[in-house]
Amino acid sequence: MVDIMDRIDPGADNAVESERPLPPRLEVTPTGHDSATEFDALPSKLSVRDLDFFYGKQQALFDNHLEVKEHRVTAIIGPSGCGKSTHLRCYNRIYELYRDQKATGEVMLDGRNILASGTDLLSLRRRVGMIFQKPSPFPMTVFDNIAYGLRMHFKLSRSELSERVEDALKRGALWEEVKDKLKEPGLALSGGQQQRLCIARAIAAEPELILMDEPCSAIDPVGTAKIEELVSELKSSYTIALVTHNMQQAARVSDYTAFFFEGRIIEFGATSQIFENPAQKQTEDYITGRFG
Amino acid sequence: MSATAPAAGRPPLQARSVFRRRLVNTAITSSAWLAAAIGIFVMGWIVYTVFTRGIGAWNLAFFTQLPPVGNDPGGGLANCIIGTLVITFGAAIVGLPLGFFGAIYLSEFGRAGRVATGIRAVTNIVLGVPSIIAGMFAYALLVLPRHHFSGFSASVALAFIMLPVMTRTAEDILNLVPNELRESALAMGAPRWKATLGVVVKAARGGLITGAILAVVRVAGETAPLLFTALSSQYWMGGLKGYFGGPTPNLTKTIFDLSQQPYSHLVQLAWGGALLIIVAVLGVNVVTRLLFQRGKEW
Ligand SMILES: Nc1ncnc2c1ncn2[C@@H]1O[C@H](COP(=O)(O)OP(=O)(O)O)[C@@H](O)[C@H]1O
Ligand SMILES: [Mg+2]
Repeated sequence: MVDIMDRIDPGADNAVESERPLPPRLEVTPTGHDSATEFDALPSKLSVRDLDFFYGKQQALFDNHLEVKEHRVTAIIGPSGCGKSTHLRCYNRIYELYRDQKATGEVMLDGRNILASGTDLLSLRRRVGMIFQKPSPFPMTVFDNIAYGLRMHFKLSRSELSERVEDALKRGALWEEVKDKLKEPGLALSGGQQQRLCIARAIAAEPELILMDEPCSAIDPVGTAKIEELVSELKSSYTIALVTHNMQQAARVSDYTAFFFEGRIIEFGATSQIFENPAQKQTEDYITGRFG
Repeated sequence: MSATAPAAGRPPLQARSVFRRRLVNTAITSSAWLAAAIGIFVMGWIVYTVFTRGIGAWNLAFFTQLPPVGNDPGGGLANCIIGTLVITFGAAIVGLPLGFFGAIYLSEFGRAGRVATGIRAVTNIVLGVPSIIAGMFAYALLVLPRHHFSGFSASVALAFIMLPVMTRTAEDILNLVPNELRESALAMGAPRWKATLGVVVKAARGGLITGAILAVVRVAGETAPLLFTALSSQYWMGGLKGYFGGPTPNLTKTIFDLSQQPYSHLVQLAWGGALLIIVAVLGVNVVTRLLFQRGKEW
């Protein structure tokens, strides 16, 4: 078995520190879902076609095409400023908070174009959860954080509510750590716990697709490992799209990887193929750290 | 190969005078200290004077009785205390919600748009208007057409002063809430109003309450706007009927009237009123700041 980590330059995330010592070697088992035939056979949860994005007059995404496969983790990688976040933010139309931002093209969720004008944003966002770079617990207790989406979208009795809060916290791998702190403010948790709280909060609303925009970049290594483990567990129940600037992370947790550069998708394929045998020179240069 | 070797061909560097640098440093630091000391000294002097002259007026009668008739001994400012509280409260229930929702519009919805920019400009202008103009405004709006002074018209004048203060403060505080929090709430499928009131405002609540209280305190000691509106009165306010229908007793105008009297016990009553205002404003300020120091988590 080829260790795909061999191909990744550990300094590539941070080209300036190209001479720092190598980290201990990581054990990576390729996920095994990645043959080309399987890709075609798998249903797409979300299909992106001809997607362009504009910040005012400035275009940030150019003709993006991408398939997010059901019950798989799709990683979006690329250098800073290449449009990873911009792309992900089209999946739940969160960019519409800002008046001058506009997307054109198609983002098909289960075959329906969510960019179409008739889309109900509230139910779209219930179906598509999102985790941001900086953990953002709401200014309320741990319990109320998790209950936020539940109360808003469902009619539940009190006992059903607490049951579901507990369940979401368990699925978010946080229950053991917070079961005695449900009445404490969410902001009192550690950074890594806050991020898992946000994941559990998203899970509680029963989403189908979970978007994560560099969820570990503000978290310490131990917290990062926990979140990565969680992502791998979650894909049996959900579909996940994960933006990361950390290529080892993409290699560890994802099944498919899209490499972005300057607003374009340069290459998209099975993660093992992207890292072991990239078709494009730019992809190879990026993952081996020979960028720029 | 030594890293410290001087670059070839460059003249040696001339060091600046350490003595001069120290001298300038000492001079500037001590002037800053001196300025601060003068400021604090003057403030302390005012508080000290008001305290020593006013404390003698504080007795049970001061807080429970009407001002004396003519130059009778005794008496108090109870009607004025109640009047000022009612006038200020009336201003607050008009000015604070308007300012609060104005700030929500500016920071959450209008943002950099043309309407919001216009409102901000107007707010800044009103903020700089002398308070006596607010009194004249209420006078023209409420007193002239109805041919009588009233506490209510004073509340309107004070609300007019309070509104831009509250709007500006609240907008600044709402702007401190990170966008990620707004996006997180919306990404949960929350409608815009729910994300705003349930998450953004909640996150900023400490600062908003502080801002509101300070806006109220800011107008509680105003005198000029009351000259045209509440005027003053030696009698009890007379309930809501008095508040809406006639001159309303209040501390600041009464302090001025009493201080013009030739009798020392009346002047002392005025000092007592001044002390009450200082203690109340200072007290509310300190308590508010202590209670809501938190709320700056980001
Ligand atoms: N709010 C914005 N206004 C204007 N341009 C933006 C904005 N946010 C991002 N951009 C631009 O869009 C491009 C893509 O940004 P982004 O999607 O955040 O990149 P990434 O997440 O890959 O680092 C960048 O060139 C960035 O400068
Ligand atoms: Mg980004």
